[in-house]
Amino acid sequence: MRRVENLPQSRNAVYARSQDLTDIATDFSPCAGAAPGWNRKSQADHTVIDYAMLLKSCSEGDRAALRTLMETEGGRMFGVARRMLRRVDLAEDAVQEALVLIWRRAHQYDPERGSAKGWVYTILRNRCLTLLRREDREVATEPEAFDREADGAVLDQAIDRLGTTSDLRRCLEGLDEQTRRAILSSYVLGHSHGEIAGRMEAPLGSVKSWVRRGLTKLRECLS
Amino acid sequence: MTDRTLDILIDEIVLGLADDADVARVEEMASRDPAVAKKLVRAQARFAPLDDTADEIALPDGFWSRVEQGLDAGGIETGPTQTDVVDLSAARRALTRWRGAALGSIAAAILLAMTLGWSVMTPVEPSVIAVLLNDDGEAIALVEGRPDNTTLVTLLEQAQVSSERVMQVWTKPDDDGPPISLGLLASGRSETLTIQGLPAPSPQQLYEITVEPAGGSPTNLPTGPILGKGLAKEPVI
Repeated sequence: MRRVENLPQSRNAVYARSQDLTDIATDFSPCAGAAPGWNRKSQADHTVIDYAMLLKSCSEGDRAALRTLMETEGGRMFGVARRMLRRVDLAEDAVQEALVLIWRRAHQYDPERGSAKGWVYTILRNRCLTLLRREDREVATEPEAFDREADGAVLDQAIDRLGTTSDLRRCLEGLDEQTRRAILSSYVLGHSHGEIAGRMEAPLGSVKSWVRRGLTKLRECLS
Repeated sequence: MTDRTLDILIDEIVLGLADDADVARVEEMASRDPAVAKKLVRAQARFAPLDDTADEIALPDGFWSRVEQGLDAGGIETGPTQTDVVDLSAARRALTRWRGAALGSIAAAILLAMTLGWSVMTPVEPSVIAVLLNDDGEAIALVEGRPDNTTLVTLLEQAQVSSERVMQVWTKPDDDGPPISLGLLASGRSETLTIQGLPAPSPQQLYEITVEPAGGSPTNLPTGPILGKGLAKEPVI
């Protein structure tokens, strides 16, 4: 949860523009009174930003809500995308496309089914995976190009940043090294079974069964 | 599928390891079975803390305008979604000259085909055609209704619809009955709409397009201003 008041000055311009649209709507529409309330509400009482509320406003056609989402969460989304895609240009594409998909699918988000932030990142990650798989097909990666050390450093950093009190961290650390690495590199780096097997120089079948066993252990540990 | 296999499969989907067919299968299960949907959400939540471990990197300047272009452009997904929102003012800004010219020629081609009795343009012959007129008597859209209730809506004019609104197409299969929604022109452009459970369209049937709040009329009846309306006629083929 973040607050609205520290948003940059450009926000005002957005609100002003949205307000104009509402005014135009008033001129010709009998139901303009029901225009989205996000703008006015956030201006009036500096409401704490609530992702579910932002998605609801998006589903009602309020672009300022999507922009607020981008301004509050875009940096982290960019980081997640760059970690998976490595290339800045692809990561930008992923974030842009994810935001457009979030806008289009906002009406499908059901608060009863999990957190809005989780929903946002699921869309982003799926977009990254699609771009990653597409890129893999188009650009053949030389095995030498694998940078195991860099990958390892990214994964270690991910674990470290989970924080010492994190259950996920405790449970991941309870797995053996290979399994932990396999699971983390799929979630964090977007690696497929085949890529994990290639990097670990292990048979594909073994990687698949490590991952499955590891996932069962993790689920038990976290429940 | 045993519970255990399903649990593992769901985790693999969240990790990004499952193949497309498995993802589609589980998503379909989740749409029918709340218990599966719950498992999926729980699995996502288990790994979600890892998202916050990524660096926070400032997006490049002007990124919002790229996003807005994406909102205006359509694409990424094929097929309209229900709450796509129309912002024709922005769309018009984004239109390059060639696209404008292309749209113009499409409109001209459509009108030409109209005078040729539609045989050129329509592989499936429409059972009715309506030209929707605005208050000034200008044609704003052409509606072709097919026997299976597929409706082709061709816009003949850029509508002034704000980003919080969407165009909705209506018809009155029964003269004395209520208007029935045929769907939204979510992209703000010409579209083919399909609807189940209506009788085949008949001559003299009313068609109209109204401007409704994003997502469509909340009452499921037209509430907004009418962009255009017209009565259907049977084409001479």
